[in-house]
Order: sequence, then structure tokens, then C-alpha cells
Amino acid sequence: MLRRSNAVGVGLKYFFYGVLAIIWIMPILWMIDTAFKPSPEIFTVPPRWIPSYLTLEHVKEVLTKWPFVRWLINSLVVATTATLISLIVSVLAGFSFARLQWVGRNFVFITFLSSMFIPWQVNVIPLYFIMHRLNLLNTYPAIFLPIVAMPIGIFLLRQFFLNIPQSLEDAARLDGCGSLRVLWHIILPVSRPALGAMAIYMFIFSWNEFFWSMIALQRSNMLTLPIGLKALQGAYDINYGLLMAASFLAVLPALIIFLVLQKKIIRGIAFTAGKG
Amino acid sequence: MLKTGLFFGKRGHRSQIEGLLFILPYAFLWGFFLIWPLAYGFFISLHKWDPLRGSKFIGLANYVKLFRSPIFWNAFFNTFEFAGIAVPLIIILGLVFALLMQRMSIRGGRFIEASLFFPYLLTVSIVSLVWKWLFDPDVGLVLYYSSRLGLHLPTFLADKFWALPAIAFATAWWLAGYRMVIFKAAMGDIPPELYESAELDGAGGYKKFRHITLPLLRPAILFALILTTISGFRVFGQVIMMTAGGPGRSSEVLALYLYRRGFDYLQMGLAAAVGFILFVIILIITVISFRFLGFESRL
Amino acid sequence: MLNEFFKNLKLTRRWKNLLGICLAAVMLLAAGGSFVFAQKKYELNFNTLFHGGDAQAMVRIVEKFNKENPQVKIDLVQGQWEDYYAKLYITVAAGEPPHIGITHTTYIPSMAPAMTPLEKSRAGNLLDIAGIKGEDYVEDLWKAGVYEGTRYVVPLDTHMWALWYNKDLFKEAGLDPNSPPNTGKELEEAASKIKAIGKYAIHPADIGKPRHFRRAWYILFWQQGGELFDKDFAKATFNNDKGLRALEYLVNVFQKWGWNKPGTNGNAQFVAGRLGMLWVGNWFYWTAERSGVNYATAPMPQIFDKRVTWGNSHNMVIPKQPLKVSDNVIVTAIKTIKWISENSDIWGIYGGHAPAYKPVLEGKKLGESKTWKKSLSVLSDMALEGALHYPIIHPQAKQLEHSIQVYVEEAVNGIISPQEALDKAEEEVNEILGS
Repeated sequence: MLRRSNAVGVGLKYFFYGVLAIIWIMPILWMIDTAFKPSPEIFTVPPRWIPSYLTLEHVKEVLTKWPFVRWLINSLVVATTATLISLIVSVLAGFSFARLQWVGRNFVFITFLSSMFIPWQVNVIPLYFIMHRLNLLNTYPAIFLPIVAMPIGIFLLRQFFLNIPQSLEDAARLDGCGSLRVLWHIILPVSRPALGAMAIYMFIFSWNEFFWSMIALQRSNMLTLPIGLKALQGAYDINYGLLMAASFLAVLPALIIFLVLQKKIIRGIAFTAGKG
Repeated sequence: MLKTGLFFGKRGHRSQIEGLLFILPYAFLWGFFLIWPLAYGFFISLHKWDPLRGSKFIGLANYVKLFRSPIFWNAFFNTFEFAGIAVPLIIILGLVFALLMQRMSIRGGRFIEASLFFPYLLTVSIVSLVWKWLFDPDVGLVLYYSSRLGLHLPTFLADKFWALPAIAFATAWWLAGYRMVIFKAAMGDIPPELYESAELDGAGGYKKFRHITLPLLRPAILFALILTTISGFRVFGQVIMMTAGGPGRSSEVLALYLYRRGFDYLQMGLAAAVGFILFVIILIITVISFRFLGFESRL
Repeated sequence: MLNEFFKNLKLTRRWKNLLGICLAAVMLLAAGGSFVFAQKKYELNFNTLFHGGDAQAMVRIVEKFNKENPQVKIDLVQGQWEDYYAKLYITVAAGEPPHIGITHTTYIPSMAPAMTPLEKSRAGNLLDIAGIKGEDYVEDLWKAGVYEGTRYVVPLDTHMWALWYNKDLFKEAGLDPNSPPNTGKELEEAASKIKAIGKYAIHPADIGKPRHFRRAWYILFWQQGGELFDKDFAKATFNNDKGLRALEYLVNVFQKWGWNKPGTNGNAQFVAGRLGMLWVGNWFYWTAERSGVNYATAPMPQIFDKRVTWGNSHNMVIPKQPLKVSDNVIVTAIKTIKWISENSDIWGIYGGHAPAYKPVLEGKKLGESKTWKKSLSVLSDMALEGALHYPIIHPQAKQLEHSIQVYVEEAVNGIISPQEALDKAEEEVNEILGS
């Protein structure tokens, strides 16, 4: 793929890619711009990028008048717990499907798999009443339990486990290792990339969960971030400065993590590529 | 079936129990929080369900009502329209970006890739708010800049024909980056020798893409296609936050239709029925895709 | 074993410890989260559907309450307009309702099964217990709180649409800023003049959501003396020349006369100083104040035969509580409602609504406030004049409204003709009423 690069060629390339990147990221730039713009200048026509001064009033309002930090923590707890539990149960089940032989194995797997396509909307109303009976409404488990019931993790891990050379496992078994030890000592250490990929996926999915959280969480201090943002939109129809400030604050953790771990995250996601 | 397994000797016996034990934790969660609500939901769909005024069993009447309702069919076709626009857009953009990233050999590649990927890390609320703001007919950047360029674009979110495509585009902006990463990784798996030998045979860029890249990328593309299609059918957040189904009902998709029946009109039996129909649609699509595209072997 | 696992992850010792601590903290939080943030004694959950200025006003009221009443703490959750009633209904059905809620007068029929009958609750006659008397409230509002013989609500306020206009733009357009249009003719004159200076003349629909277009059409229809349904709600009575004239008028605003563009947000235009006249409710007061626009409020112009404006009322309710909630809590709730009535001057001043509690409505605090002088008095006058018209009060109000507003919006956006819109709306509405 190497071409003879000359100054013009390289320059053009930079230009093209640069423009593409900037256009693509422009909505976010505009969001940040609006977040720090004084209110009167937000609705001007023509829209101005450079405000006469930068203001923290919107950010301040979000942080002082709303339990924003609490929302962030709630999302963090839910996403982390969902990811951890999901990892544990999916590793066990994925291993069982990939490496253990038992009757009915494929049937059960396909059953689990086909449930992957159940849309949440169909379960919301019954789930609500189930959670009530378990006295779990407005709690963290109410949110992460339905999430960890999704079979996506099993699917991913099983795919990966299938590709681990049988020889590794055979050697261990000859040494007398039971399944649990095989899993722990042989399979898992080799599965870092898959586990990482799955963790990223589950984390993002839980973080983004919207519809069910909207129904199940009622108290202001229990809302997760996406629902908190929606509540903000409901409270301030046209206060775009506030909405964009809240959006910006909500993006900040993701932005920071991404800037620090970009390579790892992308690699983790790329991992699911050839395996599907 | 289980009984015969138990007779396969000591090893088989142990494997059988182990196999089941290992899936038990997940199976418990699955049964309780995914399947039981599903069954319960189906039960609800067979009723005129009002927990406070009293519920009444009406069999399949809800389903009949839905199939007779033009508003339901409107939502049905809108959903297909949305998926029909958003899904190809997401996949194609992902593919194009992946190709561009692969060919790019300049510094700052990380920044470009980051820009294209980053929207995926946003939540649906943020994506909706920002794009609603961008599409605003008065002060939105999209209409302002396009009018400056001499284009007279429609008012998108307020336009009967353009509302869904506009939402689809915002969705593509949001999700294409993720597909880009997946495709790029899959491309990276293609051995360069294939390209080299093709070049020796005088193949140009397009030929190389068509005959090497595309076929070898097929599994990844198909996989992404199926998952994206499924999420396309389930779309909800962007629609309710950007247009709430409007103008009129031109962007009302099935999930929103379900939500309205259940949570606005308190017709929960009907809503549960819609949910079930949505489930069946997705199931059919999945089964067809798997059959058609030969995924059985991969299992 | 754990050590081996972590060794394989190639983490340094420091990271290991950090990770371990983080994980432990997270799991602790998850498990004990509900306990740590447990409820105090007499913590009342108050859920409202308020948004914008009135949400802020309610925050003030609750803050004052919490300060003055240390034994009771109100946890205030203000939800979106859209899914409020469903959540309220379902929470009652699931046995986890808030202790105090809000209900529009128009939704009392649909929500009735979810509300505690105030005079016949399991804790007794709550009105007597709290000393709430009907004569203390504006008569029309108090009467409207009864459905099928049972009283479910204590009125909080009434609110309605008025004409808000930009005095500077009026001046610029050559209109007298102190004499807002009062008739249809004056409105048209003002509109064309404002359009001539290149601004949006009028936006008759708040932030431009479908329900706002529906309200605008209602106003134009009711002003001709039209009624939406017959007495028994057996069928629609709006598909006639009155309904058509009303809808054509509304459509022309956005299409033929070009007084505004479809799909736009009237509030945003007004706040940016680009809109001459706006139809919006009294809750717009604080947004208008903060915008810096030189505005004034005027009564809804009489475009057709009589002055009518759209309005509704907020009422305070106690959702049906499950048995596990003690009678004492219910009594505390009703006493809180009384307190809110007595302090609804805050509601009026900061939320811009006209309080239903007469001592406050006629009191000095409100009368001397800027809110009253700048906007509320106009609304109060309209109410006294009898210009207030409630929209659909019916158990299926929401569904009926949706069926109408969908087509009104399409007509306004030029997608279908007004006649077609009325035909379709009538058909859908009659089907709902018939089922």
C-alpha cells in the first residue's frame, strides 16, 4: 500500500482526514460550546461559535441544583456490578457450553441464544410488578438483575472458548485437573482479551440502559445518568445551555477514560470482530 | 434426555452434572428475570389489564385489535423504514471508515479514529439532545450551514418524510464508529500476501476490495448486520426524545407505539401484545438470517 | 489462587490493591445501597410533573417546608410531563406510590381509581383532620375536584394561556407597545407589521409540541362557541364549519400568512427576541423574566365571537397507599397539602400560576409581587371573566387528545388539509368513544 508520498499528497491526505474527523466530531464540539456560552447568546442567529465570554453558570446550575454526582455514582455502581456478575455467570456458562459435554447442551444454548432478541419493552410491565414483589423497586439490583439475565456474554465467551486449543485442556486433565481448575488455571488466563471485550460491552450497555431505568427508578437520588438527563430535559424544555452542560458533564468520565485507554478499549472491541 | 446421559459411565456422569451446575447461576437469572417476565407479559397480553379497575381475560382480542388498527400498521412500517435506512447507513459508514482508517498512513491517526469512534460512548439521551439542537429549524447548525451553502434542506424533524431519516442519520453518527472498529480489526486479520499477489496480477484498488476484502469480511459484516438490525427494530430513546413520534405519527415506531398504549393510555394488555409481536418479528428475522446466511455451522 | 489470577493480569501491587478496594467498595454500595440511604421517619415522597419555571417554584416550596418542619422531610421528584400519569397509576398498582402527587383536573376521571378519596379515606375524613375547607378555594376549581360524587383532590392552582408580546418589537414595527391586540383584526394588523420588519409575527403554540397546537386549535374553536363533544361524550362535534375555520386559521399562521415556520419552538424564538407575540401559559413568567426581553402579558385576544382561552388546573392528590403505609403518614400527607396551599404564594410568584387558595390569591404577598403585576393579574382577570375553558375531562382523555393532536399537527405542517385532519380525527375519536 505504500505510495510515493509527496508534499501535496500528504497535505491533501491530512486535509481530507482532518476535515472528516472534525465534521464528525462537530456535534460534540457544538455541545461543549453551548455548555459554556452565556444564555442570551445561545439562540442567536446566525449561531456564533465564539461567545463574548465563557461562563460556568450552566455547569454550576447542574451540579448544585441537581443530584448529578449522585446520578453518576448510581450509574457507576449499576454498571460495575452488572459487568462483574455478568462476567462470572457468563464465564461459567460459556465454559460449560464450549468445553463440557453434556446431553441437551446445544439445545439449551440455542434456547438461551434466541432469548437474546427479546426486546426489553415487552418485559417492562411484568418486571415492574416482579420487582415490587421482591421489594427491589428503586434499588440497584432492580436495574442490574435484568441486565445480567441477557445471554450476550455467554455467546461471546463461548465463541472464544471454542477456539482455545483442546491440547491445553487435555494436558491439564491428564494431570488430574477437574473442570473448575481447568477453567481457572488454563482457560481464564488465556481469555483476557475476550473478558476485556465482554466487560467493555456490558459496561457500556448497562451505563446506557434507558427504558427500564426510566420505569423502575422513581426517587431523585436513585436515578442513573441517562434518566437524570431526561429528567433535566423534562424540567427545562429550552434551556439548552443547561442541557448541553449536563450532557458535557455526563460525557466527561467517558471522555477521560477514553483518552487514557483508547488503545485498550478499541482493541477490546475489535476483539469481538473475527469471533462473530 | 438427561437420564441417558447419566448412564454414560463415570466420566459422562460427572460431565453431565458439571455442565448443568456451571450453567445454573446464569440459568437462574435468565429464568427469573428474562423468561418469567416474558411469560407473565404474554399472560397480560391476553387480558384487558387494569390492576386498579380489574382485569378481564379476553384471549387474543388484543392481537386482533392490533392487526385491525391502521395506527399499529403505521408503527409497524415505520419501524421497518427506520431499520431499512439506519442499518445500511451504519454498516456502510462503518465499512467506509474502516477502509479509510486502514489506508491512512499519516500521523495523528489515533485522533481521527478517536473522533469517528467517540460518539459510540455517548448515551442515547446525549445523542438525542445534541442532534435535536442541531436540527432546530431556527438556530440549528444543520439548516443554517446548509442554507449558507445554498441548499434548501427540509426542516427534518418537523417534516413528515424526513423525520425518520433524520433520526436514522443521528443514530448512524452515534453507532457507525463501533462498526468501524470491528471491521477494521477484521480487515487486519486478512493476510497481506493476498493483496500482494493480487497486485502482482495487476489488480487495482477496487478489484482488491471486491475480491479479497469483501468476501473475507463477510462473517463480520453479517454478524454486525444482524445485531444492528435487531437494535434498529427496538429503537426507542432517540425517537421519543427527538420527535416523540411526530410530526403526526410519521416517526412513531413500534416501541414508541407500545409505550404510548401502555404508559399514556394505560392499556397495558394491548401494550404487552405489541411487545410480543415485536419479539416475534425479531425472532423471525433472526432465524431467517441465521438460516439464510448459513450461521448454523458456526454454532 | 486469586494471586495467580492477578499475576496473570500483570498488575503491579499498587494497582492490585486499588482494584481490590474499588471492587469491594462497589459491591458494598450495591448490596447496602438501599440501607445506607434509608428513609428517615416521615419522609414523604412527593412526585410532580412540573417542568421549567414551576418546577423551580415547587423546589422553593419544598425547601421552605423542609426547613420549617424538621420532623417531616419531603423528597421531591419532578418528572417529565409525558409519562407522569402512567407511573403514578402503576406505582399505585404495584404498591409503591408517592405520598403526594399532582393531577390535572382533566385527568381526574382516568386517575380516580388510583387516588385516595379524601373524605372517606381509611384514616378518616382527611379534609376535616387537616382543616381544609371548600370555601377557602376558588369555587370553580373546588367543584371540579369531585368525580362521580367523590372528592379526590385539593386544588393547587389554575393556569391558562395568555398573549405574551415583545414590547420592543412592537415599537420597532410601529405598533403601540402598551396596547396589545384585543381583537382578531388588531391581531392581524400587528402580525403583518411585525412580519414586515423581518421577525416572526406570532407563535400560537408554546414550544411547538403537538399538544400545544391542539390547544391553539381548541381556543380558536371554542371562541366561536364550539364544543368538542356532545354532553354524554357519545360522539365528536368538532368536524363542522367552526372546527374547520379554527383549523384553517391555525394552519394559515404557519403556511399561507407566513407568520411563523412549522416545527419551530415559540418559547425559544421569544426568548431570543425574534418573536413578536406568543401564546403560552402563565408558567412562562420566569423564563420570560430571565430572558431579558422587554415583554408584557395581555389577555387572549378575542379573535372570533367571544374571549375564551385554554386552561387547566393542577390539583394535589394522595395516591392510594398500600396497607404497609400507616394512617399517620396519610394524615401527615394531607397536612402537608394544607401547608402547601397556605404557602402557595410562592407558587404564584415563582411559578406564575394563579393559586386556588383564596387567602393567598387575594392576599397582599401575591398582589404586591412583580409576578402579579406583570402577568398574573391578567390571568386572574380572564378567570374571573369566565374566559377559562377546560379541555377534555374524560377517563380516556389522553387517548382522545392524542388522536386529535396528531392530525392538527399534520395540518399545521402542511401535510394534510384541514378538512382531512378533522375527518380523520373525528373518525378516530368516535372509534375510541365507541369501544
